[in-house]
Amino acid sequence: MKRGMVIDLEKCIGCRSCVVACKQHNAQPAGNWWNRVFTPGSNRHLSPPEKGKEYFLPVHCQHCLNAPCEKVCPVGATYRHDDGTILVDFERCIGCRYCMAACPYGVRQFNWEDPKKTMKQYEYQNGYTYGYPRDFRLNGRLVYMPSRFKGVVEKCNFCVHYLDKGLDPACVRGCPGKARHVGDLDDPDSNVSKMIREKNGFNLLPEKGTEPTVFYLPPKRKEV
Amino acid sequence: MSNSKKLGFLVTGLLMIAGFLAWIYQYKEGLVLTNMRNSYSWGLYVSGLAFFVGNAAGGLVLSSLIYLFGVKSLKPFAKIGALTAFANVTAAMFSILPDIGQPIRLYNMILHPNFDSPLIWDVIVLNLYAALSLLYLYILMLPDFKGPLTKIALKVDQPKEFSETWAKRLAPFSLVAAVGIHVITAWIFATQGGRDWWNSAVLAPDFIAVAVASGTALVFIVSLLTYGFKKEHQEAYRSMAIIIATAYFIHIFFMYNDFIIHYWYGAKEALETLSITFIDYGLTHAFEVVAPLAAVILLLNKKIRQSSGAMISSCILLILGVFAHRFLLMPAAFDKIQLSMNPLGLQHIYWSVPIASGRYDPFIDTFVTKWHYFPSGIEITIFLGVLAFMCFVVLFAMDRFPIAGEVKA
Repeated sequence: MKRGMVIDLEKCIGCRSCVVACKQHNAQPAGNWWNRVFTPGSNRHLSPPEKGKEYFLPVHCQHCLNAPCEKVCPVGATYRHDDGTILVDFERCIGCRYCMAACPYGVRQFNWEDPKKTMKQYEYQNGYTYGYPRDFRLNGRLVYMPSRFKGVVEKCNFCVHYLDKGLDPACVRGCPGKARHVGDLDDPDSNVSKMIREKNGFNLLPEKGTEPTVFYLPPKRKEV
Repeated sequence: MSNSKKLGFLVTGLLMIAGFLAWIYQYKEGLVLTNMRNSYSWGLYVSGLAFFVGNAAGGLVLSSLIYLFGVKSLKPFAKIGALTAFANVTAAMFSILPDIGQPIRLYNMILHPNFDSPLIWDVIVLNLYAALSLLYLYILMLPDFKGPLTKIALKVDQPKEFSETWAKRLAPFSLVAAVGIHVITAWIFATQGGRDWWNSAVLAPDFIAVAVASGTALVFIVSLLTYGFKKEHQEAYRSMAIIIATAYFIHIFFMYNDFIIHYWYGAKEALETLSITFIDYGLTHAFEVVAPLAAVILLLNKKIRQSSGAMISSCILLILGVFAHRFLLMPAAFDKIQLSMNPLGLQHIYWSVPIASGRYDPFIDTFVTKWHYFPSGIEITIFLGVLAFMCFVVLFAMDRFPIAGEVKA
């Protein structure tokens, strides 16, 4: 079993529901974003860099098969789960940020200070909390916690705490256009394998040799 | 104790206390007190690691030159070499400590080491090197232990011969270890295919070249401060000047060799990296090239080598240049967003994904593609504290231990 994701850019409408769902469900501290949606070529979301040439690109952890972040972590806090997912053990991370230097996708985020303090700066209402409310351990390792430690790195965990309950990741469930799909990349007949094969699935930065398990399907060009 | 020594202890002591307090404060508040961001996740502390590791080299390279290649004129400086090596390699480790977000958890490095990580290799080799340089220093000092120090002296029949034999036996190992710390520290960066600026086969050899230059310059400074200008050391001054000059020119060759290859091919990624170094940080780059060049030209001049002040200033200039070089390890790596592309169907646009800075600032955008990093006051205070620690170790050992040999009349 190798869990992978396919994002169909033809179906992505740039609504950023996945961004909000991800942020909320994973209780991301103020200022941290595991998942983002861009308008490639433009500095402003939804404004086309050129008339009729806009498309939207969601970016989060690519759960690479040759993951530099996993290899550089001196204490094995970033590690690979049996299904290929790259996870961060919040209890083990020493906060050296080597993984952030190693990741070519820039998706890793550091807790520069106590997240409770940042909540105040961003003027969240006193005592307001959001997201999956309990710690989640996978084989004893703390891979999700609603209230983060100061000084540790975090990133997309493929919603491992929901997988445990048989649910898809929050971004998949939150997508109104059904642009996101999760499945087994090892199985040639799985929905994701078929989509990648039949619709020219591609990766981000393939030249870096990281072999991501997140694939994108190119958007169709409109008739001119 | 002379007044200048007292002043030395006072200044280094105060700086160490200031640095330590700054670190405690940073530990309490978090790394938010630094000027690093998610997009620019390593700064002065990691540059400091590379800088101190570089300074540590010269020491043992020098010592082993004496015993492996018989450069006799350098013999009075052997102990100084081992001492600066020890002081700098420990400073390197202290420099990286404040960069750790959860320092209390460092025991995980022993409980759960990941041997794929170059950082683990570096921790191992730096500790080995610290132990080795201390042992080397001890063996070199053995014949000179007097008074209360005889208590820590190993009881051997002929300490002089014993010291000489074992120094010779250890020399090849220390040379390998000295080379090892640079290569492995360079590999922390050079292995990262995700950062074009670092991912180069020339980085490790270049680290060795820089280290031989700055490490020797440091031994040069300390020996002049210890012995003052001595006529009978002139041969040694000349040897050290030549070692520094050769190492510096090899470094410049390695560096520009890499630049020219990438510039000629002209790939966008490479040009962007080069433009950060040559345009955004142009003055710093000019300094890292010109300052050591000036120092080398001065040191190669016979007349300059008649004045201890001129030699010390030249060596300091060189070390400052090397520091600028170490600082520049970061900007071109972090100010370039790796996830940059030509959007589908828009081949004429080169676009970078903005990264969440991870910092709250009501006045600037949360998402950045460039971050003009300059270390914060806290970072500078901590770094100066570590620098003071290095100087303090050298001063203290000079004061208490028989480091300076007798100069033949």
